[in-house]
Amino acid sequence: MNEKKLGLPSVISTGVGLIVATSCLMSLGSGAGALGIGFIIPMVLACAINICTALSMAELNAVMPNLTGGLAQYTLAGMGPFVTLVTMVGGYIVCQSIAGSVECAMFGNAINSVFDTGIPSSVWCILLLAVLITANLLGIDMFAKIQNVVVYGLIASLVIMGLLGMFGMGTGERVSQPMNLAGSFSDCFALLGLAFFLFIGCEFVIPISQNVRNEGKNIPLGMILSLVVICGMQILVVAGTGNYVKWEDLGESVSPHILYGSSLLGRVGSLWMILVSIFAVISTVNSAISFLSYLCAGMAKINLMPEVFAKRNKRGAYYVGVLLIGAVMTVVNATGLSTSDSLSFMILVAIVFWMVSYIIANINVLIFRKRLPKAPRTFKVPFGPVIPVIGIIGNLFMIWNIDGDPAVRNSIYAIDGIIFAILVVYAFLWCRFRLKKPLFQAIPIHEVMAMESPLYIPAHRKKKPGRGMTGKTVRTGV
Amino acid sequence: MEFSRLEIITDMGKLTGLKKALSKAGVSGMTVAQVIGCGVEKGTQEYEPETNEVMELLPKQMVTVIVENDSIEEIVELVKKELYTGHIGDGKIFVSPISNVIRVRTGEEGMEALG
Repeated sequence: MNEKKLGLPSVISTGVGLIVATSCLMSLGSGAGALGIGFIIPMVLACAINICTALSMAELNAVMPNLTGGLAQYTLAGMGPFVTLVTMVGGYIVCQSIAGSVECAMFGNAINSVFDTGIPSSVWCILLLAVLITANLLGIDMFAKIQNVVVYGLIASLVIMGLLGMFGMGTGERVSQPMNLAGSFSDCFALLGLAFFLFIGCEFVIPISQNVRNEGKNIPLGMILSLVVICGMQILVVAGTGNYVKWEDLGESVSPHILYGSSLLGRVGSLWMILVSIFAVISTVNSAISFLSYLCAGMAKINLMPEVFAKRNKRGAYYVGVLLIGAVMTVVNATGLSTSDSLSFMILVAIVFWMVSYIIANINVLIFRKRLPKAPRTFKVPFGPVIPVIGIIGNLFMIWNIDGDPAVRNSIYAIDGIIFAILVVYAFLWCRFRLKKPLFQAIPIHEVMAMESPLYIPAHRKKKPGRGMTGKTVRTGV
Repeated sequence: MEFSRLEIITDMGKLTGLKKALSKAGVSGMTVAQVIGCGVEKGTQEYEPETNEVMELLPKQMVTVIVENDSIEEIVELVKKELYTGHIGDGKIFVSPISNVIRVRTGEEGMEALG
């Protein structure tokens, strides 16, 4: 019998490690550059909205425990294959590809901001991608092994630097400037989208729930505390930055953490930050490529993506996914993600899909409450439908206020609209001609749970129509 | 009527967790029998696309506990949460009334015999 070994501290550390990435520092820099410490208001709001979604995710995990695909399976059981395809391909695959590309761009920018190599940033990004794609194809997981160490190195560095900056203990020159640049709440709401990017990903904690003691309590509590810890850490950084970096310089910087490090502690600070952040970028991009290839393989197993994604090479890697995701990231970086505006813009384009998938997660909770009111749940979001509804409204509000500038907002909507239209066509054709199932017919939970079995696809491939010679009756459930 | 009998039929691997949870809830005794049987799925594995025509009996365990009526809802809820995985085969709980309990050694009856 397996003993559950992980407690609340492990859940929190995993949650924090999965949410924080150096590209978060990009949005933190842009946000603080625009609003000063006023950016703390959208940060707290975005954190609160994400806590609502985290609680909903925890309840979904309680209804359908121990699933590898997470939201894909919840949505398949809640809303059917069409919404699942649009949400998962859009929300995770497209969004993560873009977010991973931004993370790569941070790598090139960070190197050039410290060492002035004369080589374009995009060349560094593409070199990094080439190494990581090769490592993934060869099944090398050394970057994954060091991931926690480097992410915690980044977190500890930011906390220390935040405190040094806040209490004016840096060796650099202090700047005097108004700390708050936000004039009204509408200024704050306009940056909710950027703030949201600081807190995405807490749902990635869920796969470890099967190893967590008292998971009904520790998983939701761990996710909430992870978000609160991150919020506290980012608040420290924003408050500290205001004493040493001019807000406008911060907003324009393509590597704000390096700028802060050098302004606070000179050359030592910039070397400290580059060392930590380079490792953090490598491990984050590496896990993004690996995670997406596994996600594609998982969706192929439940027949929501072409079977080719489930093929492994000799080293056990899902090579089609690795190559495709790597190619997308390479193309995005080759087109030149070099300015802070372009990086922030890409982040906003990507997170709209993530917000949509969070809305779907909250809706799934309400659907399961209606459909399975008596199913035992080791965790149920308190206060009835209130928290999921707040999560839905909060995410819709963030999409509506994705950027303060109407022109930028319309461009984001236009790009997302085009991607969404492509996804709708793909999902429609796939459901109609490949799955041959009604678009919005939910798959029963027990059937979705059965799909977890590695024997599910082989057994269904061998299925004969009607009553066969095997003495079995064809099930009519799906 | 003061007592009810819970007959819990579930997968073989769930005994340790169930025993721990019931002990924590103050249930003072239980009887476990290894049985074979099947439910509406007729013993079909959940990944199989077709249901067995002839029942296939699978190894299960039947756990019997006697609890006071006052705590029956709490215990049933606890057992449901402990056994739930969402997969076919999580099990069934049967609740039936008990008219009396007698401890043979002392001749005590009812609540005294359970305590």
